[in-house]
Amino acid sequence: MTSKLHLFMASALASTVAFGAQAQENSVTVVLSEELEIVEPCSATKSNVGRVLFQNISETVTEMDPETGLQPRLAESWEDMGNGTWRFTLRPDVNFSDGTEMRADDVAHSLVRMKSPDIACEIGAKFFGGIEITSNVIDEYTIDVTADPAQPILPMLMSTVTVTPSDTPLDSFVDHPIGTGPYTFDEYVRGQSITLNANPNYWGDQPTVQSATYVFRGDSAVRAAMVAAGEADIAPNIALQDATDETLDFSYPNSETLFLRIEHAQAPLNDRRVREALSLAVDREAFVGTILANGTLLATGMTPPSTIGYNRDLAPYPFDPDRARELLAAAAADGVPIDTEITLIGRTNNFANVLETMEALLAMYQDVGFNMKLEMVEVAEWLERYAKPFPEDRGPQLIQAQHDNANGDPVFSMYFKYHSEGQQSGLLDPTVDAMIADATAATGDERAAKWSELFTYLHEESIADVMLFHMVGFSRVNERLDFTPSIRTNSELQLSQIQFN
Amino acid sequence: MLKFLGTRAITSGISLVGLILLVFFLSRLTGDPTGLYLPLDASEESRNQFREIHGLNDPLLIQFFNYLGDLIRLDFGDSIRRSEPAIDVVLRGFGWTLQLAAVTMSLVVFFAIIVGSLAAFHVGGVFDRIATFFSLIGASAPDFWVAIVAIVIFSVNLGWFPTSGTGTVWHWVLPVSVLFIRPFGLILQIVRGSMITALSSAYVKTARAKGIKNRPIIFVHALRNALLPVITVIGDQAAALLNGAVVVETIFGFPGVGKLMIDSILQRDFTVVLAAIMVTATAIFIMNILIDIFYSILDPRIRY
Repeated sequence: MTSKLHLFMASALASTVAFGAQAQENSVTVVLSEELEIVEPCSATKSNVGRVLFQNISETVTEMDPETGLQPRLAESWEDMGNGTWRFTLRPDVNFSDGTEMRADDVAHSLVRMKSPDIACEIGAKFFGGIEITSNVIDEYTIDVTADPAQPILPMLMSTVTVTPSDTPLDSFVDHPIGTGPYTFDEYVRGQSITLNANPNYWGDQPTVQSATYVFRGDSAVRAAMVAAGEADIAPNIALQDATDETLDFSYPNSETLFLRIEHAQAPLNDRRVREALSLAVDREAFVGTILANGTLLATGMTPPSTIGYNRDLAPYPFDPDRARELLAAAAADGVPIDTEITLIGRTNNFANVLETMEALLAMYQDVGFNMKLEMVEVAEWLERYAKPFPEDRGPQLIQAQHDNANGDPVFSMYFKYHSEGQQSGLLDPTVDAMIADATAATGDERAAKWSELFTYLHEESIADVMLFHMVGFSRVNERLDFTPSIRTNSELQLSQIQFN
Repeated sequence: MLKFLGTRAITSGISLVGLILLVFFLSRLTGDPTGLYLPLDASEESRNQFREIHGLNDPLLIQFFNYLGDLIRLDFGDSIRRSEPAIDVVLRGFGWTLQLAAVTMSLVVFFAIIVGSLAAFHVGGVFDRIATFFSLIGASAPDFWVAIVAIVIFSVNLGWFPTSGTGTVWHWVLPVSVLFIRPFGLILQIVRGSMITALSSAYVKTARAKGIKNRPIIFVHALRNALLPVITVIGDQAAALLNGAVVVETIFGFPGVGKLMIDSILQRDFTVVLAAIMVTATAIFIMNILIDIFYSILDPRIRY
């Protein structure tokens, strides 16, 4: 080996040591799948935005933990005052990272901002759509919040409300988020990285992780390789085929439910027998452990088993192609135009192996006699077909979609997906509308029972959609961390929960 | 020469306007970006306001003329996705791409000329066969596969280089190496073929008869004439890199203009798409003019 080559190798090794040194004792590097388009707290329900901001920078009024239920966060307690009004008592001595004290008027401002038509916040639209929210500041640390129509789960809804200072603009997004969280937003090098550091003035316990750097890599194999090579500590979202190391990879229900939305208004999909045939024609178990991960659950409803009212008595539709053919024949005999071409629409890059999944579904449907074609479309085109107003000349369609609900209550899903006025609903069913209204207004055991009844009706009576799977996600975590990803990792990554081994 | 430069500037300008026209209307055909940027149940009022802010409510022709009007004042508009001037976003990405392309092409040209010339001089020999074999493999290997294999071997297993990102000189080794392979294979083949022709020409035979040594024959007499077709291919390959090495930029986390362009098309971020195309097209026009000038330097018979 020449002396120059020796020098090169020595430098390379030195640089390797330097890469290792990036992972300092009390700091972590998180590798995300895409760069954040904005760093706006009221868009923290978008997965990658949430993984940086949610509860790290911007804290919520309450906090929903799928294990322990609703917990205090910026509010210490809450009380039902009747008539849709809830009183929240806020924690005193909480400061924003700009040094100002958090008070009730900041919460009031955050509620107004969340619903501001000038910026169309994700949280306001996603969780408070169709709900009028007003507030009344009682004193510095007490605020009454009123929802119209009344929301018995208003404290749970408040677990999505990120609190920002009262001078945060109502008509524009922020590019340097200020919050009350355990970390401060310190640096955003566009295209390269985001850096957070521990907030020395945080009201709660100081976190173990003192600093975090977020970097962005589009390729799942690279994200996995970065953790394997010690360049990153957590890759919260890697593909099934890259999760090859049992010591580093964690699988967990990622709160996504995969389904095919049925266009009920269009023949032949407006016939219940045809919809039942669609459900019976799919060999769901054949997907699990092959093109979808082991641990993927067969779905009977839109929300994962961790939500209240999830009906565990419902059985997934069995794979019964003969029965599906019989049902189609019976429908045809009654004049249902089962030969009409149905378009199966898939969303490109929606999850690992989505194309393979859609092709397998297409083959299964064609096998029982459906006249079906597959179209894979990008997200923008998919949205145009998925959300109202639907295209008028759409014809009969099945649209593949995933729905995420890690919030513990089906209310976050049902109106959107199944109410006649729901933005993504393929249904026009007054019975379903009434059941959603009843369940939304109920509390406690009655609420769980009413959601459960709705799940049964949608699955067995109406056959509203072709329910497929509760999906599994993979995160790769460096062995130096004591951190187990959970269903929440899909939408948030609380750095304060991370310890070191 | 000045007349030539003036003519090229005018024709390039006309091409650029044609390109803007084409991209503007084609991008609008992909649909309204409102649904992508606003929450699904955003009110019609919000949607209208969004369209108003981004000038999407006007008839298409009015939008186009408004855009041209802004362009004359060098206002490329704001990125819909990033809420900052589109040109800032593009120039940031283009800077990375330009560096990547410059480093890669410098190495490619240097090594392809040396190896290609030596292969041509020893045509049919062991060196020639090895060079031809590897250059053909290199020219046909898919970038994404080479990139992932390189990461697995050199980053994960050997730990020599970082997997991705930027920051140190070591971060450049793998992306430049992966980008190097294909143009190196192509240009080496062109150099080799061109040099074989040049080395069998009468003026080389004359030079040999005069007793001139091999090295000056290859690198002074033959190479100068053999380079003309090579420069065309170098120009094409450099243009491809300037357009953005999308796959390599994505895999290695290089925030270049290629990845930006693809992301912006998918996100219907029209202003960024247009700005990116204008910046890269302008760079390619400039590069083509430089190549033409270089042609005339290499071959004094070429006059503009």
